[in-house]
Amino acid sequence: MSVGAKVASQSRDVWQKARQGRRPRVVLGAATVLVLLSLLFLPLNGQPHADWLQFFGRFHPLLVHLPIGLIVLLPVLEILGTRRPALREAAGLVLQLALATVLVAIVFGALLAYGSGESGTTVTRHLRGGILLALELMLCVALRRTWLEAQHTRAYFVMLGVVLLTLTWTAHQGGSLTYGSGYLTRYMPPAMKRFVAPSAVSSHPNSFFAKHIYPVLDTKCVSCHGTTKEQGGLRLDSYESLMAGGKDGIVIAPRNPDGSLLLKKVTLPPSDPHFMPAEGRAPLTPDEIARIRAWVSAGASPEARSVPGIFIAGDEEEAPPPVGDYSALMPQIQQMQMSQGAKLVPVSAEPSDGLILRTTDVASTFDDAQLAKFQKFALFIVEAELGRTAVTDDSISTLIQFKNLRALHLEGTAVTGRNLAKLTSLPQLAYLNLSATKVSSDALGPLKNMPNLRHLYVFNSPAEPASADNSVRSTQ
Amino acid sequence: MKQHPLCTDCEDKITPMDLPIPAGLKHEWSKCESRRQFLGRTGKVLGWAALASLFGEVGLYHRALAAAEAASGKDNLRLPHFAPTAKRAIYLFMSGAPPQVDLFDYKPNLTAQFNADMPASVRGNQQLTGMTAGQARFPIAPAHWPFNQHGQTGTWISDLLPHTSRMVDDLTFIKSTNTDAINHEPAIMLMNTGNMNAGKPCLGAWLAYGLGSMNDNLPTFVVLQTKTNPKENNQPVSSRLWSSGFLSSEFSGVGLRSVGDPVLYLEDPAGVDRETRRKMLDAVEEINRQTLAEVGDPETNSRIAQYEMAFRMQSSVPELTDLSKEPESTWELYGPDAKEPGTFAYNCLLARRMAERGVRFTQVYKRGWDVHDNVVGNLPVLCQETDRGCYSLVTDLKRRGLLNDTLVIWAGEFGRTVYSQGGLSQENYGRDHHPRCFTVWMAGAGVRPGVTYGETDEYSYNVVKDPVHVRDFNATILHCLGIDHNKFTYKFQGLDQKLTSPVPAFVVQGILA
Repeated sequence: MSVGAKVASQSRDVWQKARQGRRPRVVLGAATVLVLLSLLFLPLNGQPHADWLQFFGRFHPLLVHLPIGLIVLLPVLEILGTRRPALREAAGLVLQLALATVLVAIVFGALLAYGSGESGTTVTRHLRGGILLALELMLCVALRRTWLEAQHTRAYFVMLGVVLLTLTWTAHQGGSLTYGSGYLTRYMPPAMKRFVAPSAVSSHPNSFFAKHIYPVLDTKCVSCHGTTKEQGGLRLDSYESLMAGGKDGIVIAPRNPDGSLLLKKVTLPPSDPHFMPAEGRAPLTPDEIARIRAWVSAGASPEARSVPGIFIAGDEEEAPPPVGDYSALMPQIQQMQMSQGAKLVPVSAEPSDGLILRTTDVASTFDDAQLAKFQKFALFIVEAELGRTAVTDDSISTLIQFKNLRALHLEGTAVTGRNLAKLTSLPQLAYLNLSATKVSSDALGPLKNMPNLRHLYVFNSPAEPASADNSVRSTQ
Repeated sequence: MKQHPLCTDCEDKITPMDLPIPAGLKHEWSKCESRRQFLGRTGKVLGWAALASLFGEVGLYHRALAAAEAASGKDNLRLPHFAPTAKRAIYLFMSGAPPQVDLFDYKPNLTAQFNADMPASVRGNQQLTGMTAGQARFPIAPAHWPFNQHGQTGTWISDLLPHTSRMVDDLTFIKSTNTDAINHEPAIMLMNTGNMNAGKPCLGAWLAYGLGSMNDNLPTFVVLQTKTNPKENNQPVSSRLWSSGFLSSEFSGVGLRSVGDPVLYLEDPAGVDRETRRKMLDAVEEINRQTLAEVGDPETNSRIAQYEMAFRMQSSVPELTDLSKEPESTWELYGPDAKEPGTFAYNCLLARRMAERGVRFTQVYKRGWDVHDNVVGNLPVLCQETDRGCYSLVTDLKRRGLLNDTLVIWAGEFGRTVYSQGGLSQENYGRDHHPRCFTVWMAGAGVRPGVTYGETDEYSYNVVKDPVHVRDFNATILHCLGIDHNKFTYKFQGLDQKLTSPVPAFVVQGILA
């Protein structure tokens, strides 16, 4: 027998053996595919089923990490296998193990989903992701064989890449189910966050709800009461859904914290079967409960920026940017004070805190012309005390040069509000006092667009609302 | 007896030259001596010179420099240390000590314990005042008036304070304030000056010294006294409470009188016009400057400054106290009492006007809170006298935009006991001094509105959570005004004196905005 014939007969033997071994595998594979596809029709409608299903199902999070590890190990072995053939051989076993464990994990996952009857898009996505992953792995098994036989060299690796992508996506869905959808992005640096996930939490991004209530709900509640799952028909992933309540009616009763179901449930003893968050998830901290209680007591407004009695570190307005160092100008500043009578007073010993323009001593004679003389120091002035001075509407043209101005006192002046719209070019302005002036409410219109303007006073002016005395009204 | 030639205290100068020794030896001695002397002395002189320059550099020179700095005063204080939240403060001082149990510190469980003995364990080994130490028993006297929840914060306030109740969301309560003194004089001194003994500057004087004036025409620190009600138990207050202590006397509080002219002799006498008065003051100043040159007493400078201030106040005070231009809304808010000079409401209105005009620190004293007996008779009167004024002041500052940079403080010098002093009946009771806990409130710039800080036990007797000593309280006030109490010192009697005393004090971070 020639060498060539020997090789040919050997290869035929291998081929035939392979054919013989392949038939039961194909049958097995087809059956598995059918079972997997049937899982897609699991009724996940929020109805829980037998407890034993859940008992086993809860081993799903335990098991699921095994195939993840194996699948990640696979490309490593394949790549290293180009140098050390032993590793390539091992890769075959790892692939088959990965497929087997994926199937087991899917079965347990299905038990969990069906048993607890969890509904929601994330559960469905996670389940579909898992099934897809299993199908892809089966394809991998087949393709790897062809690759070893040098038939399709690329297909296997492409498939491996697809498997890894599917794995990442499916695992992320699973993570969202457990930890909440915002888990990864919650502590992301703000700049990155804007880029990755533009916030759509609330139409009032600076409200107390958006900043301090929603994050609590998001981390502690939304994993079960959100788009992923809707336990008790309750969703807590937006202001509207929070206020809409669930199967048991409303959960937030504005101004009535004791009548709010949500607060009741989170403050039950943890051993109580109705205690929330359920299933041993992290309970709300006393601080978070106090925050929600105060917010509800204050009327559960979606817009309110602050709530009486509650203060959260870092909640204060972002510190305004420091102004430049005026130390070098001190001689000129002193000269200015001597000649004008009005003073430029340092806010503090720190030059970057800026200067206050103080006119009290010469208020009655301090007019627009004198104000204009202070333009030289415009960028260092953070507060202009012009109350009861002789300045007029024309002063605004000078004042808009004071780019770092944070507080402007114009109370008791002849200002009519004619030029107030120009003030919108002062980005840092947070305080504006127009009490006892002739300013009308129309003139205030343009000021609404100033995001930093938090304190606007119009007492004893035509712009004063009929019931301006909020403190009197709200506590009656 | 002949002295030994080498003895140092010789009466007669005997040198080796005088000794009966050979001339060659004498010559050699004289040479020897001069060389030794020269070298020895040179060495010593050089050593001393080196030492002097060495020590002088680090010690004496810097000491002299520091002294010069201290003498030149405020320019080197560099205050405020950091950007303040409050530019000015108004301190409503409830002299005599209001009973916290009846007004703010709600203890509903006490009602059931009416006339029960207070457990001895609560008092421990505390030494009481002579007024109740001899009492056979300490029967619990629950608050005579009901409490109710108010505002969005649901804060419990006695029905005696209907106006204060309306602004609870704007107030910051400290229920755990405590002091070292059990009697009025040391306690009120401690509260105001940080020391029980007289002679230290008060809070207002420290602020005047450290932060200076915002209005050259008005004093930096003004004290307003409320007319006393003779039916109340009025403890004395006097200028020791607004004294500048060891600081220059120009920083002490200027008291405006509660009856008659707020400042006496403010008007120029008949026949003296403004011009003449000016000339007179210039002449007096000239004489004062000569005295200063001769004697060098810095108090002469204070006197000159005070004459000048008085001259400027001749025009600024009449404008300050002229309430005719107040809008109608003012009278609606403060009520009819405010039209009568010397009432608490009037003083509150004046305090608001001074805040507008740049007075750095205003202290309003209201006496009469010392309710040792007849609480049921006196307390409603005291509350009626003060409640509306407090509310009006805070509300008025708020609507005018002044509360953003003004800190309002309401406090007494200590609290009152939960047990009754003297007889306890359903109709009446008395309360003794109690230093272990009392309630104060703050409002406005620098503090968090709506917060209640600190807790007392169920007898309103001991602090069980977050104690705030008077020192901590004063440190917190300074903090709101941009001052680090540990850095704000004045060298006197060899000590870096400060408002909070050498005992460590801590800013109450929990109430800061």
